[in-house]
Amino acid sequence: MYKRFVKLLSLCLVGILVTVSVPPQAVARVIGTEEAARAPGGAAQPGANIHVPDRTELLAMLDRDDVRRQLETLGVNPLDARARVEALTDAEARQLAERIGEVPAGADASILGILFTVFIILLITDILGLTKIFPFTRPIR
Amino acid sequence: MPSAVSRVLRSRVLPLAAAALAAAALIGCAVPQTDALLAATREQPRPPVLLQAVPFFPQQDYACGPASLAMAMGAAGRNVTPEALVADVFVPGRQGSLQAEMLAAPRRYGLLATQLPPRLAAVLAEVSAGTPVVVMQNLGLAWLPVWHYAVVVGHDLEAGEIVLHSGTTQRLRMPLAVFERTWGRAERWAIAVTPPARIPVTATESAAVAAAIGLERASPQAALTAYEAILQRWPASRLALFGRGNARLAMGEYPLAVVAFREAVAAHPDFADAWNNLAVVLLETGDRPQARVAAERAVSIGGPRSAQYRETLARVGR
Repeated sequence: MYKRFVKLLSLCLVGILVTVSVPPQAVARVIGTEEAARAPGGAAQPGANIHVPDRTELLAMLDRDDVRRQLETLGVNPLDARARVEALTDAEARQLAERIGEVPAGADASILGILFTVFIILLITDILGLTKIFPFTRPIR
Repeated sequence: MPSAVSRVLRSRVLPLAAAALAAAALIGCAVPQTDALLAATREQPRPPVLLQAVPFFPQQDYACGPASLAMAMGAAGRNVTPEALVADVFVPGRQGSLQAEMLAAPRRYGLLATQLPPRLAAVLAEVSAGTPVVVMQNLGLAWLPVWHYAVVVGHDLEAGEIVLHSGTTQRLRMPLAVFERTWGRAERWAIAVTPPARIPVTATESAAVAAAIGLERASPQAALTAYEAILQRWPASRLALFGRGNARLAMGEYPLAVVAFREAVAAHPDFADAWNNLAVVLLETGDRPQARVAAERAVSIGGPRSAQYRETLARVGR
């Protein structure tokens, strides 16, 4: 909730800043390759000339900042975190911003880890009364 | 009566069902890709492959991500230690590395990281073509995951085995069926790390383009090489033609950027983004009349970014 609010607030602030700081005359700007890849590459479409404010870039900026802060919270050195989010594409930043805590993180293949996994499974099935492997377990009913 | 039924259920059926379920979970499901590959091998034998040149770094603690990347990057000609890559891809709070960052890190070293099709045959084909493949596996169960990165460095289909640099084991020989299951539980995630001039043999056009676009963020020069390589294989690739222009532009080579965007619009006359960028670069080179022609084309085609095309046109002057 709080995060959403902060996100909305910063979006508004960035929007205000951008409108205030851009000089009134038009600027010629190149379209980035990533940007062109995001939406169909400029071929004519129905309703093509309706002006829709493009906020994707602002959102991508906020996503990137979000990921950077989350990486720092997870123990990544701030300087590294900054360089790391810079290397992400907008789509990657988006994906991580939404679910950095859920996506798998490749970690360890130690035999101990696997043994521990099997131990826990059998322990649970023992406690549920489905198996009886360990002498020290007592089924819950 | 219901209580008797439930007692029978509990005493007989439940344990049986649980045992069957546990067996299914432990043994895993079918391995269609392995079966098909091994059947094909019986028809037509394939020689075993082992990539001798891939360096091996045993993983430290939980750092299988940095170790796997260091091996793949070493094979691609960048000698980086796993210790150096810890700062690039390790997340202490998760005791592991994220897939998105595994794809992003090689870019910072000027290398192309391409996601491969989720097929066992593709992984083996890359290895046969000389490229090691970084894979993610879930060595545990779907609901009790043990995530792991390893590098496929060989295969021996006669023996039904795949060879991996994995954890602290160099050239671990794993039955193909076990690999298919553990890899399948990690959504068959596989990437190839290559020099930018070399597009992985099994890469799709969209995966190759996505990899080059990612590289453009870190190194326009390396991305330019990648776009050229993509155009060698897919000469009409819209985004590669476009990206080549943007890479030239980022490198400050305006005349060559003009050439690149002209080629893009020649191949795809409806490509408004390319017309827009052509107009901007022509304006930079001082060719206002031609810039106006290009900007007018962009505006007349329109599209989701038509507002920007109109700004370009306003800038070059009607």
